[in-house]
Formats: sequence, structure tokens, C-alpha cells
Amino acid sequence: MIAYRAFLAAATAIVGTIIAIRMLAYGIRLETLPGIVLGAAMIGLGAHRLSLIVRARRSAP
Amino acid sequence: MSASPKPELRRSVTPWGSFSWGYSDVGADIFIGLGLVLAAAAGATNVAFLFAGVVYVCIGLAYTELAAAYPVAGGGQYFVLRGLGDIFGFIAGWAVLLDFTIDITIFAWTAIDYLSQLIPVLVGSTHPWTHFTLTLALIMALCLLNVIGVRESTAFQGFVSALDILSETCILFFGFLFAFRPDLLIHTMRVDWPSPSNLMLGMSLAIISFVGLESISQAAQETQRPASIIPRTSVALILTILIYALAYSNLALGFVPWHPIVDPQGHPVSFWQIFPASYPGGSDNQGKAVALLAAQVPYFGALAAFYVPVLGAVLLTISSNSGVFGSSRIAYAMSSTNLLPSVFQRVHPRYRTPMISILAFCGVAVFELVFAAMPSLDPNAVALYDRFFHGESGLDFLADLYAFGAATSYSFVFLALIALRLADPLSPRKFKIPFNIPMTFRGERVEFPIVGVLGFIGIFSILLFTLQTHPLGRIFGPSWLLVGIVLYFIYRRRKQLPILRSQHRDWRKAQAEILRNAGELELMDEYVANVKASDERRAKAGAS
Repeated sequence: MIAYRAFLAAATAIVGTIIAIRMLAYGIRLETLPGIVLGAAMIGLGAHRLSLIVRARRSAP
Repeated sequence: MSASPKPELRRSVTPWGSFSWGYSDVGADIFIGLGLVLAAAAGATNVAFLFAGVVYVCIGLAYTELAAAYPVAGGGQYFVLRGLGDIFGFIAGWAVLLDFTIDITIFAWTAIDYLSQLIPVLVGSTHPWTHFTLTLALIMALCLLNVIGVRESTAFQGFVSALDILSETCILFFGFLFAFRPDLLIHTMRVDWPSPSNLMLGMSLAIISFVGLESISQAAQETQRPASIIPRTSVALILTILIYALAYSNLALGFVPWHPIVDPQGHPVSFWQIFPASYPGGSDNQGKAVALLAAQVPYFGALAAFYVPVLGAVLLTISSNSGVFGSSRIAYAMSSTNLLPSVFQRVHPRYRTPMISILAFCGVAVFELVFAAMPSLDPNAVALYDRFFHGESGLDFLADLYAFGAATSYSFVFLALIALRLADPLSPRKFKIPFNIPMTFRGERVEFPIVGVLGFIGIFSILLFTLQTHPLGRIFGPSWLLVGIVLYFIYRRRKQLPILRSQHRDWRKAQAEILRNAGELELMDEYVANVKASDERRAKAGAS
């Protein structure tokens, strides 16, 4: 289960990175801003979940 | 004879339960919000969601901090009561109650809209009486279930949430992979940018995609060690909801449908263009936007076309039920702090549920439904609505009030956050919103929240947009508050309680009790030590 959750978290961060890069290819402007924020939020969520998993693994007996 | 202990809610909600509780409340909002915002903001839909989303993140963080520090079920109204006093606590709670009654109606309404994707006889514009009768029946059924005390289990809620997250992830994954074109997105934004008025309307409607954060504080009341669990689950919840809202809005504007969409004249149209009321069936489409998008996603759409409408209807029904449940619980909490008459605390002798509250607020929901549906049911009402209400009715009317209630209550929550940071620095905050200015206030070291101020400016501007652009919202929203304030004055006068000032309450004792009941014993000890140290400091300062 923890591997599945780690996979989902990593996938979220990777997809976020892809979206952000695709939008950044058109430059930073108003039209691309929501897409860049979307990518950043996905990276943030992926990183947050990964950090929770790492913390849980560390605190496990 | 010893007095029987006051019954309390059982703390048995797990982290996933806490997440799914919030998700089933807030997650369903995008099923309504997407179509409405596409219709209003056109090529700026994603910008409208971005603006509302940033404000929502601030609101979510504020709720997380407050719910972790004060884990009680009263939610926003409790924080406002504690931070700003009785009268403002009442206004915030009354605005939340408006939202909960709209919750009941709008989610029941759109649950039928989603089913109409599979069953054409349920389409509102062509079969208004069937749509109205089924929506009414759904509200009555939920009312009855709540009176007899049947509530969907946390396990079922968790299952539906998990299925929905999986489905939405698949829709977005396949959508972005096979049907999203960034150049089309940029083209749509340039060519179909709305007027400033429509952009404001879109932003005010976008906030309804983020309503339901009361569930964070409701979950806090029933979660073990809420100060530790709530911040963890809330951050994930806030980001998940934000991601879905931004992803759907970006996808919808840069979306190449699997099968070309044509208007009745046979001309191809973009996906977002099927939502404005000017498009044939546009009003019906607004209530089932996610199902329409899912059906047009390459490959996955073949499957999604059949089950996403059902899944949407189930999720929306759960949300409608949370409106029935939440309104009765908020009314109960307000009644216990003398903001509402004690009749709202009265429970059914057999089922032990707050029957009066449930019936009262379901009654309001039915009234709202009748008002929203009237022009479609009675052609004579159309002229009346055109004359007095700018022709607004149906989903627009419900969304108007929903946005007003949310913006009002959230505005007060930000003010309460700032006030509590200043007035109650001794309560331990295991989660604190970042970016604060350290300062001294009344002899105590406090941290002034910059995000709280920015969030207030954001949500207050949404409230102004709502008053500016929603013809019905600016009439019925303030009217609801005015009626509530008059009733509050009458009630407080009768009970001989202060009307504009607050009742005296021992918040220190209450806070220690709250933390003890939550199982946060370390935090309770920390709080008691903080209070003691503060008293000693003050005594020393007084002596010198």
C-alpha cells in the first residue's frame, strides 16, 4: 500500500513537472500562469505526500 | 444524584476518513462550478479559478490553523464568536446556514442534472416538472433519513471519495495526454476573453467550487489528536481540490473533443461554448459539465460517459446530505452558545436527532427550490422574474446565494483569525499559517498573519464582485442576513442577554476543556503553562 501511495505521489509530481514545462515553453504570461500554477501545485502535493510517507517510514518501529 | 455527563461526539475518524469527509463536501463543488464559470468567464475561466483558488488556499490554511487550535464542531461561527464576539458570530453562523440550505438544494438539483445525461426525461428545460419533482423528492428523502438518524457511513463516504479521485485523475490524465493543446488554450484566452463584468461574475462563481471547508472543523471534532491529524489531511485536501479546479478549467479551454461538437446549424463549436445560456441547452449543460467533459475524453470517455454521471449524482447527493446534516449541527452549536433559540437543540424523543433544526432548514431549502424552479414550472412567472430579478432563476439563483453566503462567512473567518492571533496567543497552534510579523500586543508576543490580511482582501473583493454582478444575490443575500439579525435581536432581548455586546464566557477554562476532550493532553499542559506564565508576567509588571 505504501509503495502504491509513493508511486501516486511521485506520479503527481512528475505530471505536474510536465504540465509546468509545457506551459513554460510558451513563456511566463497571463495565459500560461494558471497552467504553471497547476503544475506547481501538483509538484507541491506530490512532494507533501512523499514527505509524509518518508516521515511515516522513519517513525515506524 | 450526580448529573449525567453531556453527550459528546465519538472521536473515531481516521486520517483518511478526515480527508474523505472534507473531499466529499468540497470535491463535489467542481461538478457544479465548472459549467457555471465556463458560461460566465469564457476564455478567462482558468484565471477566474486561479484567483478564487488562491483565495481558497488562504481560507483553507486559516481553517486548518483554527480547527487544529480549536477542535470543535461549530466551525466558522465558533471561531468568529470567539474572536469577534456574539453578534459577529451570529452573522457568520447565519451566513453559513444560508450556504448549508443552498447546499441541500443546489446539490440535489445538480444530482438530477447529472442523471439527466443518461436519462433524457430528467432534463430540466424540456421536462421541468419531472426535474422539480425528483429534486423535491430527493430533499424530502434526505430530510427523513436525517430525522430518523441514518447517515452514510464514513466507509461508504471514503469509498465514493476514492472512486471519484481515481475517476477524476483518469479524466485529467487522458484529457491532458490526448486532448489538450496549449496553443488552443492560449488562442481561446486571447479571442474569447470576457468583459470585466463577466470576469468578476466568473470569479465570484468560481468560489463556489471551494465551499465546504466547514467540514474541516466538523472532522476536527470527531478526530483523535486533531491538532496533529487535521493539518496533515487539510494540506492534502486543499492542494487536491485546487489541482482539480485548475486542471479542469485549463483542460476545458484547450480541449479538443474526441467527437467534434456542432451547434444546431452544423457549425463546429469549442467545448466551452456549449455552456452559455445562449447556446441551445446551455443552461442544462451547466449543471453537468464534468460528465460532458468526461464523455469527450479520448478512449476513457467510452467508459466514463456511462458511469461518471452516476458517480457525480452519488457524490452530489452525499454533499446535499451534508447540507442537511451540517445545517442542523451548526444550528445546534449556535443554540448552545445562545445565538439561536434553544428549540434548535431539541432532539426527537425516539431517534435522538435535532428534528426541529432538520425540518426548519430543509423547509428553507424547499422554499429556495420552489423559487429557483418557478419560471420553468409556470410561464406566467417568467415576466415577473424578468421585471424584478433580471430574469435570473434556476441554477443561477442558487449559485448567487451560495457565493454570497460563502464570501460573507469566509470574510468573517479571516477577521477572526487575525483577532484570535492577537487576543489568544496563549493557545498552542501546532499548525500556523506561514508569513507572520512578530510584534507585541497588550504585553504578549504575537504573530500578525500577513496571509490572513491578503486572504481577507481576496474574499472581500469576491463578496463585492458578488454584490456587483449577481442581481439576486445582492437582494436575497443581505435580506437573509437582515432577517436573521432582527430575529437575533428579538431572541436576545427576550432572554435578557446583551444584544450588541457579548455574553461573558470563560474562554481559558473552555480551551483547556476542548484540548482535554480532543485527547491533546500535551497541548493542554502547554496551554496551562502558557496561561500561568502570562499571569505571572502580568503580576510582575503590575507590581513594578
